[in-house]
Amino acid sequence: MPEIKVTPLGAGQDVGRSCILVSIGGKNIMLDCGMHMGYNDDRRFPDFSYITQNGRLTDFLDCLIISHFHLDHCGALPYMSEMVGYDGPIYMTHPTKAICPILLEDFRKITVDKKGETNFFTSQMIKDCMKKVIPLNLHQTVQVDDELEIKAYYAGHVLGAAMVHIKVGSESVVYTGDYNMTPDRHLGAAWIDKCRPDILISESTYATTIRDSKRCRERDFLKKVHESIERGGKVLIPVFALGRAQELCILLETFWERMNLKAPIYFSTGLTEKANHYYKLFITWTNQKIRKTFVQRNMFEFKHIKAFDRSYADNPGPMVVFATPGMLHAGQSLQIFKKWAGNEKNMVIMPGYCVQGTIGHKILNGQRKLEMEGRATLDVKLQVEYMSFSAHADAKGIMQLIRMAEPRNMLLVHGEAVKMEFLKGKIEQEFSIDCYMPANGETTTVTTNPSVPVDISLNLLKREMALGGPLPDPKKPRTMHGTLIMKENVSFMLVSSEQALKELGLNEHQLRFTCHVQLQDPHSDADTLHRIYTHLKSVLKGYTIQHLPDGTVIVESIVIKVSSSAEDSNTKVLLLSWSYQVKTWTLFLEGLPMQSKPGSSPNHLVIESLF
Amino acid sequence: GGLTFTFDCSAQNHVTSKLSFTVFYVKLYTEIHKPFSFRYKDLHVYQLEHPTQVLEWTSGNSVCVAGYSQSKNEILELRLPLKLLADENKSLCAERDFKVSHGGFTDGPVRCLTHIPGTRCAVTNDGLSSDLQVWDLGGEESDVIRRTGSIKGKRSASERGSRIAARPSSAPQVLHGAQISDVQLTELASGETLYKLETDSADPLSSLQFVSDTVFLAGCCNGSVYVADTRTSAPPQLSHSPSSAESVIWWTDAAAGPHPSSRRVIRVSSSGQAVVSDLRNLGGAGCQAQLDVQTPGRCSQVKVSWAPTLDDCISVSGFSGVVQIYNTRLWGAEPQEARPLFEHRGHAVSSQQTDDSVPTFVTSHIWHPERPRTLLSAASDGSVHVWDWVDPNRQGGSPTP
Repeated sequence: MPEIKVTPLGAGQDVGRSCILVSIGGKNIMLDCGMHMGYNDDRRFPDFSYITQNGRLTDFLDCLIISHFHLDHCGALPYMSEMVGYDGPIYMTHPTKAICPILLEDFRKITVDKKGETNFFTSQMIKDCMKKVIPLNLHQTVQVDDELEIKAYYAGHVLGAAMVHIKVGSESVVYTGDYNMTPDRHLGAAWIDKCRPDILISESTYATTIRDSKRCRERDFLKKVHESIERGGKVLIPVFALGRAQELCILLETFWERMNLKAPIYFSTGLTEKANHYYKLFITWTNQKIRKTFVQRNMFEFKHIKAFDRSYADNPGPMVVFATPGMLHAGQSLQIFKKWAGNEKNMVIMPGYCVQGTIGHKILNGQRKLEMEGRATLDVKLQVEYMSFSAHADAKGIMQLIRMAEPRNMLLVHGEAVKMEFLKGKIEQEFSIDCYMPANGETTTVTTNPSVPVDISLNLLKREMALGGPLPDPKKPRTMHGTLIMKENVSFMLVSSEQALKELGLNEHQLRFTCHVQLQDPHSDADTLHRIYTHLKSVLKGYTIQHLPDGTVIVESIVIKVSSSAEDSNTKVLLLSWSYQVKTWTLFLEGLPMQSKPGSSPNHLVIESLF
Repeated sequence: GGLTFTFDCSAQNHVTSKLSFTVFYVKLYTEIHKPFSFRYKDLHVYQLEHPTQVLEWTSGNSVCVAGYSQSKNEILELRLPLKLLADENKSLCAERDFKVSHGGFTDGPVRCLTHIPGTRCAVTNDGLSSDLQVWDLGGEESDVIRRTGSIKGKRSASERGSRIAARPSSAPQVLHGAQISDVQLTELASGETLYKLETDSADPLSSLQFVSDTVFLAGCCNGSVYVADTRTSAPPQLSHSPSSAESVIWWTDAAAGPHPSSRRVIRVSSSGQAVVSDLRNLGGAGCQAQLDVQTPGRCSQVKVSWAPTLDDCISVSGFSGVVQIYNTRLWGAEPQEARPLFEHRGHAVSSQQTDDSVPTFVTSHIWHPERPRTLLSAASDGSVHVWDWVDPNRQGGSPTP
């Protein structure tokens, strides 16, 4: 049976790392290659031993597709491609390709420099790995090879995030990565056409949540900033160059304008260059049929937001500063943090997840005393606020996406099966499709029903139509005889048997079965035959029965002959002969049925008789 | 209306484009006050797939909601966001979302849902008959809410359906009925009827609740209130309606305080009249007010509730898309117009309703049993809000942290 196999790689029920193996139409595809941020040992990498126990992965994978730049989706990429070994194509969107290496390098620095780890990928490995990347444009079909094609769709969530449609022949799979169904200020909502994939694979980490509105999150953010400013404090917001930073700036600018606030807002210069660079990429990418709203603007034409100079950090009075990097692990944001940490009127707002080992991670875990370089300790007296602005699809979002794509089957990864029964039931009920939920390391096999297109010869079609009867109806299939020929390994053709024999240069053979039936009848051979004929004519109405002058009775295509037994002239022998196409028949003789079994040989004729 | 911002967008070699967007959210929090203040300590806004008419606590941090469309509906048990409940490390908690901890499917609408205290069991009524459905809300091993049985009521067809009240302690028992003469106490495990209210009146009920382990209060739509004890078969105490007006409907709530002296009853009518009386002396002099409700007369799902921990505070919803909180201490013996202490306008302001001909109205609201100013409210557009309001009288010139 044709089938698609899906295996989320990993161990146990842990979530937090995406790496899914799909086998479809003889092709093996890896979807995402994430790092688990919670572990410090090899458990943070996906378990590639499922694919092969040792050696490179190149021979086993046709391609690797990365959905977006978050580390739990691409963090293990350099490890997989350079340390385990993979030289095949790696696909991702343009912005992902630009931003991925920066995050990987940042992550590498934190892990090696801050935490002192040794068995980790190097900067050169990141560079080598990115050389294997083939960038994708949205809605553009890319032929990975003769049979495998992929297409990227807009996913929202973060800059460059994509959902991927994978097709081999008439079987297909859609992988969502992380996506979002409600538009942002700078990102649109995910969108896909009614591609009807055999399987839609989606993360289920947030599937059982109902999200608090964006307005409330923003309200909370503004409230916190306002409270600090009102009491004369300084607010530090560490950000990555592009994405959330722009959203928060727009939000503050609007608020400042409405409330007529005077405190200065700064955006650090390091951000300016990076942001403009990515902004160009952003524009190129988003020009391709993005749905709904996103904000196109020159980054720094704000009325209330000015470029930061590091001397401003010492200025008295309230202010708000956006600075990189986002996890407070180095650079300007860390410098500013060190200056402001000692004053309880100040505040730091962390707008996203921080990797273990960073200052950001430590203060979000409640640490109030930090060890800095040179054994100096820093007392953290300022207020620490953790706010999540990341956009994930919730239960409603998953249902919306299923409505859009109309998959034949649903597959949810990264959820605990016992906690997902309701959602599974909901999906199965509303859409009448199967919903699978494999655990990590477990393979789900989905049987597909691919339709194979076949051409039919015109002669055959005409012949069938000439037979008359009702028009072809998919609900009432009719038997027809023909021969299926496969040409040049690609196209199928249905032709009449004669044409097939001609093309193949074969002779036609006919098969007929015969059997003998004994009867006691004192009449002559011809009379017996005539009696049989009359009897059959009366019993078998609606069938063509002929009595031919050559001494045979023909019922449709069954031939009956009568001869006398050599020993006794009262014992008649009926010779019955029929072609292989006659599957079952029942012969009524002397009012009693004689029945053949389908495909039976004469020896198996069952005769009920009492002569 | 909202504010409109127009941005001129240009960047280096790229095409100039204009984008304008309206900012609605500014209304939500800067509505009233000068100088600027935040009226809420916390505010969470959610959108359910389908609106709910029921909000019922199943624990200190979880509520049940359920749909009321004609055919199939969902019952959901939602866990409150961690951020709301984390009092100590609130700032380090980013978790703002509801978690759907359990869910199930019903065959009809859910008009009334009551949780049986001390169990994982809930009882519902579909508003079409007085039969009840019994549910298992599920535990650790499964997230599915399953129907485990039913209880036959007296009426196979009923205009409003039954009210349900769970006995506060002892073995699972429910008090239920669509009209006053039907009220009975049924033991869940056996289905046995343990008690029946002896009265001939056929007044339909608008509320039913226990005020102690055995004493209950039944409020009729016409405003009369019955108080009875399930231990005796003595006839109930009857307090007649405050008004004899025919077309007026009344809703009732009793404060279940620890002291008998704090046990008061409030009755609110569809014309906005509110009457407070002492439980031991329902007909006696209490206090009254004319509530400041937008559309008196046009209401079907009015909910009135005493605040569990704030003395004298009551909340009212169902007249419009607003939930109002009043301080009854300011009310006198003669009915006078009362101004609400606080109004939650979120459902009306940010309505998600697609059909403009029917304005959004609040279908239900509840107070958190312990957190003094935390409420949940649900509206006909599917929105559910969780809000912690700031008492404007306690607030100074600057916002409270």
